[in-house]
Amino acid sequence: MRTKTKYKLISLASVFVFLAFWEIITDVLQLLPSYVLPSPVKVLNCFITKLTTSSPDGSTLPVHILSSLKVSMASFLTAAVVGIPLGIAMAWYSSVDKLVKPIFDLLRPIPPIGWIPIMILVLGIGFWAKVAVIFVGALIPCVINSYTGIKQVNPVHMWVGQTFGGTRTQMLFMVAIPTALPVIFTGLKTALGISWMTLVAAELLASNNGLGYMIQVARTIGRADIIVMGMLVIGVVGLILSTILDFLENRYVKGRRP
Amino acid sequence: MSKQQVRDKVSTILFAMLSVCLLLLVWQLAVSGTTLGKMFPKPIPVFQKFVESLTVPIGQYTLVQHAVFSLYRVFVGFVSGAVVGVILGIAMGRIPVIDAIVKPIFNLIRPIPGVAWIPMAILWFGIGETTKYFIIFMGGFANVLLNTYAGARDVDKQLIGAAQMLGANRRQIFVHIVLPASVPYIFAGLQVSLSTSWMAVLAAEMVCAQEGVGYLITGGMNSGNTTQILVGMLAIGLIGLILATLMRYAEKRLCSWKIRGN
Repeated sequence: MRTKTKYKLISLASVFVFLAFWEIITDVLQLLPSYVLPSPVKVLNCFITKLTTSSPDGSTLPVHILSSLKVSMASFLTAAVVGIPLGIAMAWYSSVDKLVKPIFDLLRPIPPIGWIPIMILVLGIGFWAKVAVIFVGALIPCVINSYTGIKQVNPVHMWVGQTFGGTRTQMLFMVAIPTALPVIFTGLKTALGISWMTLVAAELLASNNGLGYMIQVARTIGRADIIVMGMLVIGVVGLILSTILDFLENRYVKGRRP
Repeated sequence: MSKQQVRDKVSTILFAMLSVCLLLLVWQLAVSGTTLGKMFPKPIPVFQKFVESLTVPIGQYTLVQHAVFSLYRVFVGFVSGAVVGVILGIAMGRIPVIDAIVKPIFNLIRPIPGVAWIPMAILWFGIGETTKYFIIFMGGFANVLLNTYAGARDVDKQLIGAAQMLGANRRQIFVHIVLPASVPYIFAGLQVSLSTSWMAVLAAEMVCAQEGVGYLITGGMNSGNTTQILVGMLAIGLIGLILATLMRYAEKRLCSWKIRGN
Protein backbone atom coordinates (compact mmCIF):
# COMPACT_ATOMS: atom_id res chain seq x y z
CA MET A 1 0.00 0.00 0.00
CA ARG A 2 2.81 2.41 0.90
CA THR A 3 4.71 1.79 -2.31
CA LYS A 4 1.50 2.54 -4.19
CA THR A 5 1.22 5.94 -2.50
CA LYS A 6 4.88 6.59 -3.28
CA TYR A 7 4.34 5.97 -7.00
CA LYS A 8 1.19 8.11 -6.97
CA LEU A 9 3.26 10.94 -5.53
CA ILE A 10 5.96 10.43 -8.15
CA SER A 11 3.28 10.64 -10.87
CA LEU A 12 1.91 13.85 -9.42
CA ALA A 13 5.41 15.31 -9.16
CA SER A 14 6.08 14.29 -12.75
CA VAL A 15 3.05 16.18 -14.07
CA PHE A 16 3.95 19.16 -11.92
CA VAL A 17 7.58 19.19 -13.11
CA PHE A 18 6.40 18.83 -16.71
CA LEU A 19 4.08 21.85 -16.43
CA ALA A 20 6.63 23.88 -14.48
CA PHE A 21 9.35 23.15 -17.03
CA TRP A 22 6.96 24.13 -19.83
CA GLU A 23 6.07 27.37 -18.02
CA ILE A 24 9.73 28.21 -17.28
CA ILE A 25 11.05 27.76 -20.81
CA THR A 26 8.17 29.83 -22.23
CA ASP A 27 6.96 32.59 -19.93
CA VAL A 28 9.82 32.92 -17.45
CA LEU A 29 12.98 32.48 -19.53
CA GLN A 30 11.31 33.17 -22.90
CA LEU A 31 13.53 30.62 -24.64
CA LEU A 32 10.80 29.96 -27.18
CA PRO A 33 8.57 32.66 -28.66
CA SER A 34 4.86 32.13 -28.05
CA TYR A 35 4.13 31.43 -31.72
CA VAL A 36 6.34 28.35 -31.39
CA LEU A 37 5.26 27.15 -27.98
CA PRO A 38 2.72 29.07 -25.88
CA SER A 39 2.96 28.76 -22.11
CA PRO A 40 0.44 26.60 -20.23
CA VAL A 41 -1.03 29.77 -18.69
CA LYS A 42 -1.59 31.24 -22.17
CA VAL A 43 -3.24 28.00 -23.31
CA LEU A 44 -5.58 28.06 -20.33
CA ASN A 45 -6.39 31.73 -20.91
CA CYS A 46 -7.05 31.02 -24.55
CA PHE A 47 -9.39 28.18 -23.59
CA ILE A 48 -11.40 30.49 -21.31
CA THR A 49 -11.69 33.35 -23.80
CA LYS A 50 -12.49 30.98 -26.68
CA LEU A 51 -15.49 29.65 -24.76
CA THR A 52 -17.30 32.91 -25.51
CA THR A 53 -15.45 34.74 -28.31
CA SER A 54 -15.76 33.70 -31.91
CA SER A 55 -12.65 35.32 -33.40
CA PRO A 56 -10.49 34.43 -35.30
CA ASP A 57 -12.33 31.55 -36.96
CA GLY A 58 -15.96 32.57 -36.73
CA SER A 59 -17.33 30.33 -33.99
CA THR A 60 -16.94 29.84 -30.27
CA LEU A 61 -15.35 26.68 -28.92
CA PRO A 62 -18.63 25.00 -27.85
CA VAL A 63 -20.02 25.55 -31.36
CA HIS A 64 -16.94 23.92 -32.90
CA ILE A 65 -17.16 20.99 -30.49
CA LEU A 66 -20.86 20.50 -31.20
CA SER A 67 -20.42 20.59 -34.94
CA SER A 68 -17.57 18.06 -34.76
CA LEU A 69 -19.57 15.80 -32.47
CA LYS A 70 -22.61 15.98 -34.71
CA VAL A 71 -20.70 14.82 -37.78
CA SER A 72 -18.71 12.11 -36.06
CA MET A 73 -21.65 10.68 -34.12
CA ALA A 74 -23.95 10.68 -37.16
CA SER A 75 -21.43 8.70 -39.18
CA PHE A 76 -20.34 6.44 -36.33
CA LEU A 77 -23.92 5.44 -35.52
CA THR A 78 -24.80 4.86 -39.19
CA ALA A 79 -21.68 2.72 -39.58
CA ALA A 80 -22.62 0.68 -36.51
CA VAL A 81 -26.22 0.23 -37.65
CA VAL A 82 -25.15 -0.88 -41.15
CA GLY A 83 -21.88 -2.63 -40.28
CA ILE A 84 -22.86 -4.89 -37.41
CA PRO A 85 -25.83 -6.58 -39.16
CA LEU A 86 -23.74 -6.86 -42.34
CA GLY A 87 -20.89 -8.54 -40.47
CA ILE A 88 -23.30 -10.89 -38.72
CA ALA A 89 -25.03 -11.74 -42.01
CA MET A 90 -21.66 -12.42 -43.64
CA ALA A 91 -20.69 -14.82 -40.88
CA TRP A 92 -24.10 -16.51 -40.72
CA TYR A 93 -24.94 -16.99 -44.41
CA SER A 94 -22.09 -18.34 -46.51
CA SER A 95 -23.51 -16.97 -49.76
CA VAL A 96 -23.50 -13.42 -48.36
CA ASP A 97 -19.97 -14.04 -47.13
CA LYS A 98 -18.73 -15.20 -50.54
CA LEU A 99 -20.45 -12.33 -52.33
CA VAL A 100 -19.55 -9.41 -50.06
CA LYS A 101 -16.14 -10.40 -48.70
CA PRO A 102 -14.18 -9.90 -51.97
CA ILE A 103 -15.48 -6.34 -52.38
CA PHE A 104 -14.76 -5.73 -48.76
CA ASP A 105 -11.21 -7.05 -49.00
CA LEU A 106 -10.73 -4.77 -52.00
CA LEU A 107 -11.81 -1.61 -50.16
CA ARG A 108 -10.38 -2.45 -46.75
CA PRO A 109 -6.73 -1.46 -47.28
CA ILE A 110 -7.64 2.09 -48.34
CA PRO A 111 -7.37 4.28 -45.24
CA PRO A 112 -10.47 6.44 -44.60
CA ILE A 113 -8.44 9.61 -45.18
CA GLY A 114 -7.82 8.42 -48.74
CA TRP A 115 -11.55 8.75 -49.44
CA ILE A 116 -11.61 12.46 -48.64
CA PRO A 117 -10.80 13.89 -52.11
CA ILE A 118 -13.25 11.72 -54.01
CA MET A 119 -16.06 12.36 -51.54
CA ILE A 120 -15.45 16.11 -51.63
CA LEU A 121 -15.52 16.07 -55.41
CA VAL A 122 -18.74 14.07 -55.56
CA LEU A 123 -20.58 15.48 -52.53
CA GLY A 124 -19.03 18.93 -52.14
CA ILE A 125 -17.46 20.49 -49.05
CA GLY A 126 -20.00 20.03 -46.34
CA PHE A 127 -21.77 17.80 -43.91
CA TRP A 128 -22.37 14.88 -46.29
CA ALA A 129 -18.84 14.55 -47.62
CA LYS A 130 -17.48 14.31 -44.07
CA VAL A 131 -20.19 11.86 -43.01
CA ALA A 132 -19.47 9.66 -46.03
CA VAL A 133 -15.71 9.59 -45.40
CA ILE A 134 -16.07 8.75 -41.71
CA PHE A 135 -18.79 6.20 -42.46
CA VAL A 136 -16.45 4.28 -44.76
CA GLY A 137 -13.70 4.35 -42.13
CA ALA A 138 -15.88 3.29 -39.21
CA LEU A 139 -17.79 0.65 -41.17
CA ILE A 140 -14.74 -1.57 -41.62
CA PRO A 141 -13.98 -2.43 -37.96
CA CYS A 142 -17.73 -2.83 -37.28
CA VAL A 143 -18.06 -5.43 -40.04
CA ILE A 144 -14.80 -7.25 -39.35
CA ASN A 145 -15.36 -7.59 -35.64
CA SER A 146 -18.98 -8.74 -35.95
CA TYR A 147 -17.80 -11.23 -38.56
CA THR A 148 -14.96 -12.67 -36.46
CA GLY A 149 -17.12 -12.56 -33.34
CA ILE A 150 -19.77 -14.80 -34.88
CA LYS A 151 -17.17 -17.07 -36.50
CA GLN A 152 -15.52 -17.61 -33.10
CA VAL A 153 -18.63 -19.11 -31.53
CA ASN A 154 -17.80 -22.44 -29.96
CA PRO A 155 -19.43 -25.15 -32.13
CA VAL A 156 -20.19 -27.18 -28.99
CA HIS A 157 -22.52 -24.43 -27.81
CA MET A 158 -24.29 -24.54 -31.17
CA TRP A 159 -24.68 -28.32 -30.98
CA VAL A 160 -26.13 -28.02 -27.50
CA GLY A 161 -28.66 -25.51 -28.87
CA GLN A 162 -29.51 -27.85 -31.73
CA THR A 163 -29.89 -30.83 -29.43
CA PHE A 164 -32.44 -28.89 -27.42
CA GLY A 165 -34.35 -28.15 -30.60
CA GLY A 166 -33.35 -24.54 -31.19
CA THR A 167 -34.24 -23.13 -34.59
CA ARG A 168 -31.61 -21.34 -36.63
CA THR A 169 -33.01 -17.92 -35.71
CA GLN A 170 -33.04 -18.84 -32.04
CA MET A 171 -29.44 -20.00 -32.28
CA LEU A 172 -28.42 -16.74 -33.88
CA PHE A 173 -30.03 -14.53 -31.27
CA MET A 174 -29.54 -16.68 -28.20
CA VAL A 175 -26.13 -18.27 -28.81
CA ALA A 176 -24.14 -16.59 -31.55
CA ILE A 177 -24.82 -12.89 -30.99
CA PRO A 178 -24.38 -12.92 -27.20
CA THR A 179 -21.08 -14.77 -27.65
CA ALA A 180 -19.92 -12.29 -30.25
CA LEU A 181 -20.93 -9.18 -28.30
CA PRO A 182 -17.58 -8.50 -26.57
CA VAL A 183 -15.75 -8.74 -29.91
CA ILE A 184 -18.36 -6.50 -31.54
CA PHE A 185 -17.81 -3.93 -28.80
CA THR A 186 -14.07 -3.96 -29.40
CA GLY A 187 -14.89 -3.20 -33.03
CA LEU A 188 -17.13 -0.33 -31.98
CA LYS A 189 -14.29 1.14 -29.92
CA THR A 190 -11.89 0.95 -32.85
CA ALA A 191 -14.56 2.49 -35.07
CA LEU A 192 -15.07 5.33 -32.62
CA GLY A 193 -11.34 6.12 -32.53
CA ILE A 194 -11.21 6.06 -36.33
CA SER A 195 -14.28 8.30 -36.62
CA TRP A 196 -12.79 10.92 -34.37
CA MET A 197 -9.40 10.88 -36.06
CA THR A 198 -10.81 10.91 -39.59
CA LEU A 199 -13.10 13.76 -38.65
CA VAL A 200 -10.14 15.87 -37.55
CA ALA A 201 -8.33 15.07 -40.79
CA ALA A 202 -11.40 15.93 -42.88
CA GLU A 203 -11.86 19.21 -41.06
CA LEU A 204 -8.19 20.08 -41.49
CA LEU A 205 -8.42 19.57 -45.22
CA ALA A 206 -11.77 21.04 -46.14
CA SER A 207 -14.30 22.50 -43.81
CA ASN A 208 -15.66 25.73 -42.43
CA ASN A 209 -16.32 24.67 -38.87
CA GLY A 210 -15.27 22.10 -36.30
CA LEU A 211 -12.22 21.58 -34.12
CA GLY A 212 -9.94 20.52 -36.98
CA TYR A 213 -10.88 23.67 -38.87
CA MET A 214 -10.20 25.76 -35.77
CA ILE A 215 -6.61 24.54 -35.39
CA GLN A 216 -6.02 24.82 -39.12
CA VAL A 217 -7.09 28.49 -39.12
CA ALA A 218 -4.96 29.07 -36.01
CA ARG A 219 -1.94 27.73 -37.91
CA THR A 220 -2.37 30.06 -40.86
CA ILE A 221 -2.35 33.08 -38.53
CA GLY A 222 0.33 31.69 -36.21
CA ARG A 223 -1.81 31.41 -33.07
CA ALA A 224 -0.05 28.47 -31.40
CA ASP A 225 -2.08 28.89 -28.21
CA ILE A 226 -5.28 28.03 -30.08
CA ILE A 227 -3.59 25.04 -31.73
CA VAL A 228 -2.39 23.56 -28.44
CA MET A 229 -5.72 24.26 -26.78
CA GLY A 230 -7.56 22.71 -29.75
CA MET A 231 -5.36 19.60 -29.67
CA LEU A 232 -6.03 19.14 -25.97
CA VAL A 233 -9.78 19.59 -26.51
CA ILE A 234 -9.69 17.04 -29.35
CA GLY A 235 -7.89 14.63 -27.04
CA VAL A 236 -10.26 15.17 -24.12
CA VAL A 237 -13.42 14.83 -26.23
CA GLY A 238 -12.04 11.63 -27.78
CA LEU A 239 -11.30 10.32 -24.32
CA ILE A 240 -14.80 11.15 -23.07
CA LEU A 241 -16.38 9.36 -26.04
CA SER A 242 -14.35 6.21 -25.47
CA THR A 243 -15.10 6.32 -21.74
CA ILE A 244 -18.82 6.39 -22.48
CA LEU A 245 -18.42 3.34 -24.70
CA ASP A 246 -16.39 1.55 -21.99
CA PHE A 247 -19.15 2.30 -19.53
CA LEU A 248 -21.79 0.87 -21.85
CA GLU A 249 -19.68 -2.22 -22.38
CA ASN A 250 -19.23 -2.86 -18.68
CA ARG A 251 -22.91 -2.30 -18.15
CA TYR A 252 -24.42 -4.38 -20.93
CA VAL A 253 -21.88 -6.93 -22.13
CA LYS A 254 -21.74 -10.08 -20.12
CA GLY A 255 -18.90 -12.51 -20.19
CA ARG A 256 -15.19 -12.45 -20.71
CA ARG A 257 -13.50 -9.73 -22.69
CA PRO A 258 -11.51 -11.04 -25.66
CA MET B 1 -8.19 -32.13 -50.49
CA SER B 2 -11.51 -33.87 -50.45
CA LYS B 3 -14.13 -33.38 -53.12
CA GLN B 4 -16.19 -31.22 -50.77
CA GLN B 5 -13.24 -28.86 -50.14
CA VAL B 6 -12.51 -28.56 -53.85
CA ARG B 7 -16.14 -27.71 -54.53
CA ASP B 8 -16.06 -25.11 -51.73
CA LYS B 9 -12.95 -23.48 -53.09
CA VAL B 10 -14.31 -23.32 -56.64
CA SER B 11 -17.55 -21.76 -55.48
CA THR B 12 -15.65 -19.19 -53.38
CA ILE B 13 -13.59 -18.15 -56.40
CA LEU B 14 -16.66 -18.04 -58.65
CA PHE B 15 -18.58 -15.92 -56.16
CA ALA B 16 -15.59 -13.58 -55.76
CA MET B 17 -15.36 -13.07 -59.53
CA LEU B 18 -19.10 -12.59 -59.71
CA SER B 19 -19.14 -9.93 -57.01
CA VAL B 20 -16.17 -7.99 -58.42
CA CYS B 21 -17.78 -8.09 -61.87
CA LEU B 22 -21.04 -6.85 -60.34
CA LEU B 23 -19.20 -3.99 -58.66
CA LEU B 24 -17.54 -2.95 -61.92
CA LEU B 25 -20.84 -3.29 -63.77
CA VAL B 26 -22.64 -1.07 -61.25
CA TRP B 27 -19.81 1.45 -61.52
CA GLN B 28 -20.00 1.36 -65.32
CA LEU B 29 -23.79 1.76 -65.35
CA ALA B 30 -23.78 4.47 -62.67
CA VAL B 31 -21.55 6.73 -64.74
CA SER B 32 -22.90 6.03 -68.24
CA GLY B 33 -25.01 8.95 -69.33
CA THR B 34 -25.78 10.28 -65.84
CA THR B 35 -24.79 13.60 -64.28
CA LEU B 36 -22.43 11.68 -62.02
CA GLY B 37 -20.69 10.42 -65.16
CA LYS B 38 -19.69 13.95 -66.13
CA MET B 39 -17.07 14.00 -63.37
CA PHE B 40 -16.68 10.31 -62.58
CA PRO B 41 -14.69 8.19 -65.06
CA LYS B 42 -15.56 4.67 -66.17
CA PRO B 43 -13.59 1.75 -64.68
CA ILE B 44 -11.55 0.89 -67.78
CA PRO B 45 -9.98 4.35 -68.28
CA VAL B 46 -8.95 4.31 -64.61
CA PHE B 47 -7.10 1.02 -65.01
CA GLN B 48 -5.56 2.23 -68.26
CA LYS B 49 -4.39 5.40 -66.54
CA PHE B 50 -3.04 3.36 -63.64
CA VAL B 51 -0.88 1.21 -65.93
CA GLU B 52 0.16 4.25 -67.95
CA SER B 53 1.21 6.22 -64.85
CA LEU B 54 3.68 3.53 -63.90
CA THR B 55 5.95 5.00 -66.58
CA VAL B 56 4.44 8.38 -67.52
CA PRO B 57 4.85 11.02 -64.77
CA ILE B 58 1.92 12.66 -62.94
CA GLY B 59 3.17 16.07 -61.85
CA GLN B 60 6.93 15.62 -61.62
CA TYR B 61 7.13 11.93 -60.88
CA THR B 62 5.75 8.59 -62.03
CA LEU B 63 3.37 6.62 -59.84
CA VAL B 64 6.18 4.35 -58.71
CA GLN B 65 8.31 7.32 -57.65
CA HIS B 66 5.39 8.84 -55.74
CA ALA B 67 4.93 5.52 -53.95
CA VAL B 68 8.64 5.38 -53.09
CA PHE B 69 8.49 8.89 -51.61
CA SER B 70 5.56 7.93 -49.39
CA LEU B 71 7.07 4.60 -48.39
CA TYR B 72 10.36 6.21 -47.41
CA ARG B 73 8.53 8.68 -45.15
CA VAL B 74 6.51 5.88 -43.56
CA PHE B 75 9.72 3.90 -43.08
CA VAL B 76 11.53 6.72 -41.23
CA GLY B 77 8.53 7.70 -39.09
CA PHE B 78 7.42 4.15 -38.36
CA VAL B 79 10.87 2.82 -37.46
CA SER B 80 11.67 5.72 -35.14
CA GLY B 81 8.22 5.43 -33.55
CA ALA B 82 8.67 1.68 -33.11
CA VAL B 83 12.14 2.05 -31.53
CA VAL B 84 10.98 4.72 -29.07
CA GLY B 85 7.73 2.87 -28.36
CA VAL B 86 9.39 -0.48 -27.67
CA ILE B 87 12.17 0.93 -25.47
CA LEU B 88 9.84 3.18 -23.49
CA GLY B 89 7.17 0.48 -23.27
CA ILE B 90 9.53 -2.12 -21.85
CA ALA B 91 11.08 0.40 -19.46
CA MET B 92 7.62 1.42 -18.23
CA GLY B 93 6.48 -2.17 -17.98
CA ARG B 94 9.47 -3.36 -15.98
CA ILE B 95 10.59 -0.34 -13.91
CA PRO B 96 7.85 1.12 -11.68
CA VAL B 97 9.59 4.48 -11.19
CA ILE B 98 9.74 5.15 -14.93
CA ASP B 99 6.14 4.00 -15.21
CA ALA B 100 5.10 6.50 -12.53
CA ILE B 101 7.00 9.33 -14.18
CA VAL B 102 6.11 8.79 -17.84
CA LYS B 103 2.56 7.42 -17.68
CA PRO B 104 0.67 10.59 -16.66
CA ILE B 105 2.39 12.64 -19.37
CA PHE B 106 1.85 9.90 -21.92
CA ASN B 107 -1.82 9.69 -20.96
CA LEU B 108 -2.11 13.39 -21.66
CA ILE B 109 -0.69 13.04 -25.18
CA ARG B 110 -2.13 9.64 -26.15
CA PRO B 111 -5.74 10.60 -26.91
CA ILE B 112 -4.63 13.28 -29.40
CA PRO B 113 -4.77 11.66 -32.87
CA GLY B 114 -1.64 11.85 -35.02
CA VAL B 115 -3.37 14.04 -37.60
CA ALA B 116 -4.17 16.69 -34.98
CA TRP B 117 -0.42 17.33 -34.72
CA ILE B 118 -0.27 18.54 -38.32
CA PRO B 119 -0.79 22.30 -37.67
CA MET B 120 1.62 22.31 -34.72
CA ALA B 121 4.21 20.32 -36.67
CA ILE B 122 4.01 22.80 -39.55
CA LEU B 123 4.56 25.69 -37.16
CA TRP B 124 7.56 23.94 -35.61
CA PHE B 125 9.29 22.38 -38.57
CA GLY B 126 7.93 24.20 -41.62
CA ILE B 127 6.58 22.13 -44.50
CA GLY B 128 9.68 20.01 -45.08
CA GLU B 129 10.31 16.33 -44.54
CA THR B 130 10.77 16.64 -40.76
CA THR B 131 7.11 17.58 -40.39
CA LYS B 132 6.02 14.41 -42.14
CA TYR B 133 8.35 12.20 -40.11
CA PHE B 134 7.08 13.85 -36.93
CA ILE B 135 3.40 13.34 -37.81
CA ILE B 136 3.96 9.69 -38.71
CA PHE B 137 5.99 9.20 -35.54
CA MET B 138 3.20 10.69 -33.45
CA GLY B 139 0.60 8.56 -35.23
CA GLY B 140 2.51 5.34 -34.76
CA PHE B 141 4.41 5.30 -31.51
CA ALA B 142 1.53 5.30 -29.01
CA ASN B 143 0.19 1.94 -30.22
CA VAL B 144 3.60 0.29 -30.04
CA LEU B 145 4.20 1.72 -26.58
CA LEU B 146 0.82 0.62 -25.21
CA ASN B 147 1.15 -2.93 -26.51
CA THR B 148 4.78 -3.34 -25.45
CA TYR B 149 3.87 -2.01 -22.02
CA ALA B 150 1.06 -4.54 -21.68
CA GLY B 151 3.37 -7.32 -22.86
CA ALA B 152 6.22 -6.41 -20.52
CA ARG B 153 3.84 -6.21 -17.56
CA ASP B 154 2.04 -9.45 -18.27
CA VAL B 155 5.14 -11.64 -18.22
CA ASP B 156 4.36 -14.81 -16.30
CA LYS B 157 5.73 -14.30 -12.77
CA GLN B 158 6.29 -18.05 -12.38
CA LEU B 159 8.67 -18.05 -15.33
CA ILE B 160 10.70 -15.25 -13.81
CA GLY B 161 10.67 -16.99 -10.42
CA ALA B 162 11.80 -20.26 -11.99
CA ALA B 163 14.64 -18.52 -13.81
CA GLN B 164 15.73 -16.76 -10.63
CA MET B 165 15.76 -20.04 -8.77
CA LEU B 166 17.97 -21.55 -11.44
CA GLY B 167 20.39 -18.68 -10.89
CA ALA B 168 19.68 -16.34 -13.81
CA ASN B 169 20.79 -12.76 -13.31
CA ARG B 170 18.68 -9.71 -14.20
CA ARG B 171 20.16 -9.36 -17.66
CA GLN B 172 19.53 -13.02 -18.47
CA ILE B 173 15.96 -12.80 -17.22
CA PHE B 174 15.41 -9.76 -19.39
CA VAL B 175 16.92 -11.24 -22.56
CA HIS B 176 15.58 -14.78 -22.22
CA ILE B 177 12.20 -14.26 -20.59
CA VAL B 178 10.85 -10.71 -20.65
CA LEU B 179 11.82 -9.94 -24.23
CA PRO B 180 10.51 -13.13 -25.88
CA ALA B 181 7.32 -12.94 -23.82
CA SER B 182 6.69 -9.39 -25.06
CA VAL B 183 7.34 -10.09 -28.74
CA PRO B 184 3.78 -11.15 -29.68
CA TYR B 185 2.41 -8.02 -28.00
CA ILE B 186 5.00 -5.84 -29.71
CA PHE B 187 3.96 -7.30 -33.04
CA ALA B 188 0.32 -6.63 -32.37
CA GLY B 189 1.31 -3.02 -31.69
CA LEU B 190 3.55 -2.80 -34.76
CA GLN B 191 0.75 -4.05 -36.98
CA VAL B 192 -1.70 -1.41 -35.82
CA SER B 193 1.02 1.20 -35.86
CA LEU B 194 2.00 0.43 -39.45
CA SER B 195 -1.54 0.98 -40.67
CA THR B 196 -1.90 4.22 -38.69
CA SER B 197 1.48 5.33 -40.07
CA TRP B 198 0.25 4.67 -43.58
CA MET B 199 -2.82 6.76 -42.82
CA ALA B 200 -0.74 9.53 -41.22
CA VAL B 201 1.56 9.82 -44.24
CA LEU B 202 -1.49 10.29 -46.44
CA ALA B 203 -2.83 13.02 -44.18
CA ALA B 204 0.56 14.73 -44.02
CA GLU B 205 1.01 14.59 -47.77
CA MET B 206 -2.49 15.82 -48.39
CA VAL B 207 -1.84 18.92 -46.27
CA CYS B 208 1.67 19.78 -47.39
CA ALA B 209 3.62 17.98 -50.10
CA GLN B 210 4.55 18.13 -53.75
CA GLU B 211 5.08 14.41 -54.13
CA GLY B 212 3.83 11.10 -52.73
CA VAL B 213 0.54 9.25 -53.12
CA GLY B 214 -1.27 11.60 -50.73
CA TYR B 215 -0.32 14.53 -52.96
CA LEU B 216 -1.59 12.54 -55.93
CA ILE B 217 -5.15 12.44 -54.63
CA THR B 218 -5.28 16.03 -53.33
CA GLY B 219 -3.70 17.18 -56.57
CA GLY B 220 -6.49 15.37 -58.40
CA MET B 221 -9.06 17.01 -56.13
CA ASN B 222 -7.67 20.50 -56.68
CA SER B 223 -7.63 20.14 -60.45
CA GLY B 224 -10.92 18.22 -60.58
CA ASN B 225 -9.18 15.21 -62.08
CA THR B 226 -11.20 12.28 -60.77
CA THR B 227 -9.22 9.70 -62.73
CA GLN B 228 -6.05 10.78 -60.94
CA ILE B 229 -7.79 10.47 -57.55
CA LEU B 230 -8.98 6.96 -58.33
CA VAL B 231 -5.55 5.93 -59.63
CA GLY B 232 -4.07 7.29 -56.39
CA MET B 233 -6.61 5.41 -54.27
CA LEU B 234 -5.88 2.21 -56.15
CA ALA B 235 -2.17 2.65 -55.45
CA ILE B 236 -2.84 3.49 -51.79
CA GLY B 237 -4.98 0.40 -51.34
CA LEU B 238 -2.44 -1.87 -53.04
CA ILE B 239 0.47 -0.56 -50.96
CA GLY B 240 -1.59 -0.80 -47.76
CA LEU B 241 -2.39 -4.40 -48.62
CA ILE B 242 1.26 -5.23 -49.32
CA LEU B 243 2.42 -3.63 -46.05
CA ALA B 244 -0.18 -5.54 -44.01
CA THR B 245 0.72 -8.83 -45.72
CA LEU B 246 4.45 -8.31 -45.09
CA MET B 247 3.78 -7.57 -41.44
CA ARG B 248 1.67 -10.69 -41.04
CA TYR B 249 4.39 -12.75 -42.70
CA ALA B 250 7.05 -11.32 -40.37
CA GLU B 251 4.85 -12.09 -37.39
CA LYS B 252 4.41 -15.66 -38.56
CA ARG B 253 8.18 -16.11 -38.84
CA LEU B 254 9.20 -14.32 -35.64
CA CYS B 255 6.58 -15.49 -33.20
CA SER B 256 5.44 -18.78 -34.58
CA TRP B 257 4.56 -20.02 -31.11
CA LYS B 258 1.79 -17.52 -30.64
CA ILE B 259 -0.23 -16.40 -33.61
CA ARG B 260 -3.14 -14.18 -32.85
CA GLY B 261 -6.47 -14.88 -34.51
CA ASN B 262 -7.53 -13.43 -37.84
